Amino acid sequence: MSESNTRNLEQDIRGIISEITEIEPEKITIEADFVEKLGMDSMMALEILAAIEKKYKIRIPEEKLMRLKNLRETINLAKEYLGES
Amino acid sequence: MNIAEIKKILPQRYPFLMLDRVTDIKEGESIKAYKNLTINEAYFNGHFPDNPVFPGALTAEAMAQAACILIQKSIPDLAATNFYVTNMKIRFLKTVLPGSRLAVSVKSVKMVKRGGIFETEASVDNETIAKGDMTFACK
Repeated sequence: MSESNTRNLEQDIRGIISEITEIEPEKITIEADFVEKLGMDSMMALEILAAIEKKYKIRIPEEKLMRLKNLRETINLAKEYLGES
Repeated sequence: MNIAEIKKILPQRYPFLMLDRVTDIKEGESIKAYKNLTINEAYFNGHFPDNPVFPGALTAEAMAQAACILIQKSIPDLAATNFYVTNMKIRFLKTVLPGSRLAVSVKSVKMVKRGGIFETEASVDNETIAKGDMTFACK
């Protein structure tokens, strides 16, 4: 995946997270812990997972939900299922 | 699915059982159900005494109850017994009056053992009166 595609992916996923959590995008840094820093719960994580699946037309198994710890991990997970890790 | 079968799945009872019949269920995918709203329903006494209108909050409850049935029919080995709405975004488009048949449909966006995300719509006489999304946690 090219650098510009990765940047777009980061921007898109940050937008998804911001919309679901109602947290300003600039606060969703690449390392900010979803639970500790952003106050997310497991159901918000499920909503994010479903929104990513819908946007990219991919299917991510339930057990991967634990990997949604921060934006970096979420992007990496999406990349794996986009076949472009 | 008739009322006896619905009551085996849902713990809610009068005046809070918001479904009379399930007309279609596709496990893992979707459910359609309805409730007939007669003037004898308890909530019309107070909402409102001179202008009975079905409360939008109860339309949302009917949608939620349909989703609960869909979850339980779709995941047979589900250990959870309690279902919590954690997010609901519903747009209400029209008022619903006594005498209406409130039809609700719920479609799964994602359904797993720990919860589910659904798209939902309610209609009267094939006219959409409310639609939106909801998320459930199963515990």
